[in-house]
Amino acid sequence: MSTLKEILTRRPVAATIRLTVPAGGARPAPPVGPALGQYRLNLMAFCKDFNARTQKYKPDTPMSVTITAFKDNTFEFTVKSPSVTWYLKKAAGIESGSSRPGHLVATTLSVRHIYEIAKIKQSDPYCQYMSLESICKSIIGTASTMGIKVVKDLD
Amino acid sequence: MALRHFFKHLTILTSSYGFCTLSSRFIHPSLTTLFNNINPKTQPLIPTKFSLPLSHCYTSVSHPSTSTLLSPYLSVRIRCPKDIADVFSEALMCFGATSTTVDEDDNCDTSNEICIESIFPESEDVDVCISQAADSVGFKMIPSYEVKTGEHYDWIKKTQESFDPVEVTEGLWIVPEWKTPPDVKATNIILNPGLAFGTGEHPTTRLCLLLLQRLIKGGERFLDYGTGSGILAIAALKFGASFSVGIDIDPLAITSAHHNAALNDIGLENFQLRLVSSNTSSPSTDEHKDIQKQTSFEAVAESEHETYDVIVANILLNPLLELADDIVSHARPGAGIGLSGILSEQVPCIIDRYSPLLDNISVSEIDDWACLSDTVITSCNTLSIFAVTHTRTGINVYF
Repeated sequence: MSTLKEILTRRPVAATIRLTVPAGGARPAPPVGPALGQYRLNLMAFCKDFNARTQKYKPDTPMSVTITAFKDNTFEFTVKSPSVTWYLKKAAGIESGSSRPGHLVATTLSVRHIYEIAKIKQSDPYCQYMSLESICKSIIGTASTMGIKVVKDLD
Repeated sequence: MALRHFFKHLTILTSSYGFCTLSSRFIHPSLTTLFNNINPKTQPLIPTKFSLPLSHCYTSVSHPSTSTLLSPYLSVRIRCPKDIADVFSEALMCFGATSTTVDEDDNCDTSNEICIESIFPESEDVDVCISQAADSVGFKMIPSYEVKTGEHYDWIKKTQESFDPVEVTEGLWIVPEWKTPPDVKATNIILNPGLAFGTGEHPTTRLCLLLLQRLIKGGERFLDYGTGSGILAIAALKFGASFSVGIDIDPLAITSAHHNAALNDIGLENFQLRLVSSNTSSPSTDEHKDIQKQTSFEAVAESEHETYDVIVANILLNPLLELADDIVSHARPGAGIGLSGILSEQVPCIIDRYSPLLDNISVSEIDDWACLSDTVITSCNTLSIFAVTHTRTGINVYF
């Protein structure tokens, strides 16, 4: 719900840029450089800001960041936590999902893993309105498309 | 057993911080010459032979990204219907694009299509990637696209064009190398930041400069811990410090700082730069012998451990926590220390870490960023750490 003041002072958007940057490792070099340099955005400011805000993540975790560049060369950005598939791969300790999901099971995870991933994901701006249960269900869905089976208890 | 496996893999928030922020990628040294050569007005001040010893020295440092950093990237322009643009760009990211940009182009309003510009590493197969992405969003046709090879020259030049002279405070300006200072009588620091941090526009730099103005009364020895472009070390000298040392783990930063010192007519008798390795915090003299011969950086003998009157560290939270002991060890008793590069919410953490070492901690903030200022505790004295933070409301709280 934007206030009237916000609507009146809304700056014209020049572009929306999506990037994947390792946490704490933003530098004015590719991939950040060419993408932001095109719109004359202040690379240093973005790198410093991004690095400061991702200090609490393990270094080199790939974070997806969406930058909104405005026509007056200013910008805003939001950082999202790493993708569910990345978390699942890390939890299971595998490099890539199964080659034939649905037919071939790559590995199994317990519901505790799913629960922990759901808790991390709940702090994401897009998932805040969802109940933990529904986040878990969607994670299980993603896991099954990767060929990861979810069982109640790992033995 | 299951629990152990589980915790091992899900430690995302870790207590052992790697000193990753400044040194994770060694940018190829010839990129510096690229930066220096682009300035329209000036000739490159660093002769090309300067960059060769660096590349010679660092070939032994094996790092996966050095080879790809200067290689041309592929820039692909794709036209696709507006309604799937968002989902399609997400899919592209999953299948190998390093970044996607959606233009809010007014010209495209009339047609149903929108342009997505995507950047791929050169080795990537663009065809396969786009068709896989289109498949995954359920788009039947493959959208039309054209591939261009992008050169790093383009975006570097555009970034440099956006630097303007900045007035930090009354009588202190930071001016890019290729522009003329608007106020010739003020204290002007001339900069070409290159690829190093510290252009003068960032609030943490601003807070540190204001802090320096207060702390430096004349004749002090100053240490810039994590010097970046060298801006704080140069500013200290301009404010009246007698001797300034800048250390950094990024060789590009040292090069930039050296260049900036030359721009401000600062000689080596009161300005030194040292490259330290990121594993230990002490300078290593062996690796850099070749550099020292040709660039006259001063080597630091291990036996002399110099102490400084004022130290400022404008880096990031994790390095500050990890290097607390080292930073304080460089200070003489009663010296002033400034810590910055942290967000307001990270201040309690820093205060916790530094309170056994320092006293009289005062915090100043601009716009969500904080600066801690303290004095060193010695057996009887204490250091006040000035933590420079950034706050959006523009409130400066000085104790």
